[in-house]
Amino acid sequence: MEEIRRIENNASWKLYLPAILAFVGAFVMMALRFQLGTNFISDTAFMMMALACYLTAAAFGLTNLYATSSMAEKISFFTATLGVFLNLSSWLVRWVSAYERELTKLAESGNPATPWFFRYVPFANLYDYSIAFAFGAAFFTLLLANRRDFRFISAFTLPLAALILTLARFIGGEFIDLPPVLDSYWRPIHVGIASLSYGVTLVCFAVAVIYLLKDKVKVESMAIWASVFGLLVFGTISKFSVFSEFVYRSGLFLPNTPKPFSAFFRVEIPYVGFALAISSILLVGVIVSFLFYLYQNNDLGKKIGHILLKLSLVTQIAAVCFLVSGVNNTTDVYGKLQTELKNNPASFVIAGKEIASKQQMTIQQISQISQPQFEQAGRDYFEQNGKKMYLSLGTNPVEFSGILTAIVGIVFIILFSFKTDAVREKLPSLEGLDNLMYKTASIAFAGLAMLLITGAIWANESWGRPWGFDSKETGALVAWLTYAAFLHTRISRGWSGRSSAYFAIVGFLFVIFTYLGVSYLLPGLHSYA
Amino acid sequence: MEQVVKNVTRTRSQPIFNKFLDFLSSVRVGVFFLIFLVVLSMIGMLVVQQNVQGFDSYYTSLMPAQKVVYGYLGFFDIYHSWYFNFLLLLLSLNIVLASIDHFPTAWKYISQPKTEATKAWLKNQKYAESFDKIVATEKIVEVFKKQGFKTQISEKNGRINIFGQSGSLNRIGAYFVHVALLTLFLGHFVALNTGFDADVRFEPAQITNEIQLIQFNLANLSNPNADIQDRFNVQLPFSIECTDIQQKLIDPKGSIEINNTMDWRTQIKINDPSYGDTLADVSLNKPFGYRGYRFFQASAITEGKAREMKLEITSESSLEPSFVTLARNGSAILPDGTKIEYEKFSSDFVVGQKQATANEFKNPAVKMKVTKNGETKSAYAFANKISDKIPIGAPVFGLKFRLAEFEKVPLAHVLSIKYDPFHGAFIAWYLGGFGLIGALIFVFFVSHRRVWAIVDGQETIIGGNTNRNHQAFDDSFSKIKAELM
Repeated sequence: MEEIRRIENNASWKLYLPAILAFVGAFVMMALRFQLGTNFISDTAFMMMALACYLTAAAFGLTNLYATSSMAEKISFFTATLGVFLNLSSWLVRWVSAYERELTKLAESGNPATPWFFRYVPFANLYDYSIAFAFGAAFFTLLLANRRDFRFISAFTLPLAALILTLARFIGGEFIDLPPVLDSYWRPIHVGIASLSYGVTLVCFAVAVIYLLKDKVKVESMAIWASVFGLLVFGTISKFSVFSEFVYRSGLFLPNTPKPFSAFFRVEIPYVGFALAISSILLVGVIVSFLFYLYQNNDLGKKIGHILLKLSLVTQIAAVCFLVSGVNNTTDVYGKLQTELKNNPASFVIAGKEIASKQQMTIQQISQISQPQFEQAGRDYFEQNGKKMYLSLGTNPVEFSGILTAIVGIVFIILFSFKTDAVREKLPSLEGLDNLMYKTASIAFAGLAMLLITGAIWANESWGRPWGFDSKETGALVAWLTYAAFLHTRISRGWSGRSSAYFAIVGFLFVIFTYLGVSYLLPGLHSYA
Repeated sequence: MEQVVKNVTRTRSQPIFNKFLDFLSSVRVGVFFLIFLVVLSMIGMLVVQQNVQGFDSYYTSLMPAQKVVYGYLGFFDIYHSWYFNFLLLLLSLNIVLASIDHFPTAWKYISQPKTEATKAWLKNQKYAESFDKIVATEKIVEVFKKQGFKTQISEKNGRINIFGQSGSLNRIGAYFVHVALLTLFLGHFVALNTGFDADVRFEPAQITNEIQLIQFNLANLSNPNADIQDRFNVQLPFSIECTDIQQKLIDPKGSIEINNTMDWRTQIKINDPSYGDTLADVSLNKPFGYRGYRFFQASAITEGKAREMKLEITSESSLEPSFVTLARNGSAILPDGTKIEYEKFSSDFVVGQKQATANEFKNPAVKMKVTKNGETKSAYAFANKISDKIPIGAPVFGLKFRLAEFEKVPLAHVLSIKYDPFHGAFIAWYLGGFGLIGALIFVFFVSHRRVWAIVDGQETIIGGNTNRNHQAFDDSFSKIKAELM
């Protein structure tokens, strides 16, 4: 009888109470924002508090993993709950702010139109979407954490949610005027499903990494992949200048309301490129040393690899410090840029070509423009706008997040290499993790399918074109296909377990590429978000 | 000897065909097809496609070798390349064949449920328990039913077997997913191959029975005077008249650019020899469908025009001004019988110059024809103050006109027209798409749970298994155990 009571208690809604409270509490905050107006806590403040909570929860979660403590576990769980509450509050308060902004704008221009409340659902740009994405990941973690044996997940998922919020901070929370085509009830449905299902993919990714750790995949193998990721990031940022010139050039802004424009020039930030280049050389050393260890069983290689990994982490942190300090302390951007451009006039030609591409010229029109004409266009642009250009950490949010992600990856590798066997012991069984991975991947797969279908139906209602292989559409399709492959590996003999985990990891990388890469790097209909 | 050769050929050909079918129906091969599809899609994402805005500047930025290689491999239009379509065909075949291959096993769970189990097999299940007592059959059935199982009782050689299951259809859930996917592919294929997309530009009062189809032709790239977009006119079975265009602005005094716009509305009148006249509105996100054609708002030609103008008219004989409303392409009659007809609107009128197109309303002016007592003269009404001394500011028939207010609109709207005679898009995305969502929810959120109980002699054994959601089944099984204990 006692056992029945225990089971019923376990299955009761009370286990979900923290998640329910976080959810309801956030709506109370929304109501308070309505009542109290702009004197109430801003959405940015809520977001920053959520970020702090996620980091705290992750820190206590990791502490509990290394030195079991029920107190640390409880603190981690409750700060995670608080983080979810603050994260959702931030989004809901922003909804009210967006609504009021539009009401004010209409009233000031004498327009008697009453806006539809759902027109202002904060899903208009990448900032809004990032807040919802982080919420999706943290909320799903919280739902899983109703079972005590799954609470360890927060130590892995919440640092990633915190990274997404950090990215949002750099993207900037300025409101944009809603493009008219987005004024459809399909927008909250489609983007809401996107952010929640992306959140689930993040949790699935974390479970896959934990599975590999439990399955005794060597930390050194993970370090090789983390190093490859770091090299890819450092090699491609700043238009490949870190590897080619040992220099990092940051993007520049031009003042504009409500959101500044990105300028067509970049300016060098001292020491950053050098530090990143050194870090890259160290990462190559890490790869070589660990390959020696893995394939030749060379213990010296293992020892050297770990030392190089730690040194690389130090140089990356130094690069971030140089970057932040350089961006904040450079005052004479115009003078600095003038000197740099004098030595590198090819930058004018590149800027001229970018200007031409923004003007949507045809191939024939572009081919009729000579190099000196492109250079002159670049020079004219610089003369007109050079003095107004300024530096900000928000100019390159994807690059900055890439560097931070590489750092977080290496921090985790260093953590995993410490007391690895003890950590493995504390993780649930391989079978339990495999079930959890399957469950999260199934939800992610169904969610991504809903995302694709609702997007296609919206596109069909708006443009009569349900599917056009737009970059973001294709990105979501690619991620969905990868999860489809994941699910099918489980019914194909000999491919379950570790192979499935690799598919789950690749699927999440595609999700991240779709979320960030497509918005910032590729042209298409979704380039606003 | 001939007979032997024939036999050898027969025995060899059969396995090869079977092997080919086995290969094509293998899940592992399906996974490889998915991987290939991912790779090709990624290439399509990274290489800007010819129908994407910005393709022109991307193409000119490529090196000559890249242009040749990408062009030869069809990378600029990869999603319509033969190999992409071939891969989709192979994947569809794989889905169909793998489904046929695995269906009998899955169907067996429904048609021939395993109602009896051996003791050894049951004890070997992950979820199993033995009691050293006889539990009443009614009690077991009651407990099973309480956990949502549909039960069956059988007796054999003095041994009672109780079987319970729920969600058995979940075993064939994957087939629902595959059927939905194939419906989606098929609907999309039908829409692509039986219909077309076209654009039509509309100014108020314009009538057309032709629409323009655009086809990309990269072969034109070698000709500096040719466009990569080939255009063809297509005859419609009806004519379309644009009766009105309107732009709903956030700030009515602001610009007609996209960032100050809430909506565009085009009113069209369809004159169909078979069905008569139909009047319809086409707004953003609110398309209009007619005989397999759907009309959508696509873009606007943002040259500043006015939809409705309020004119202030001051007579030389009276100090009090009067007001009259003049519609674009319309006319108005004053109380004294003077007729005012709309002729032209300029958003940036510059005296003495040919009026250039402009999207900013710097010096808005409307040119009219004023007719009084059979005599017609041109007149202008300006929004800004203008001197009486310049000829165009001088009174006409003793009347001085001023443009008091006007509603801003663009010169024209561009409607996109989608022709889909067999409703392929509806079949694909509403039937296939929603079917897919429903099927996936059914597959992943329902599980086939089975429990067995054997009452034999002095012993009662229970056991069970599930194909999904082990944690929930664990809870159910623990409750069953506890209640039978």
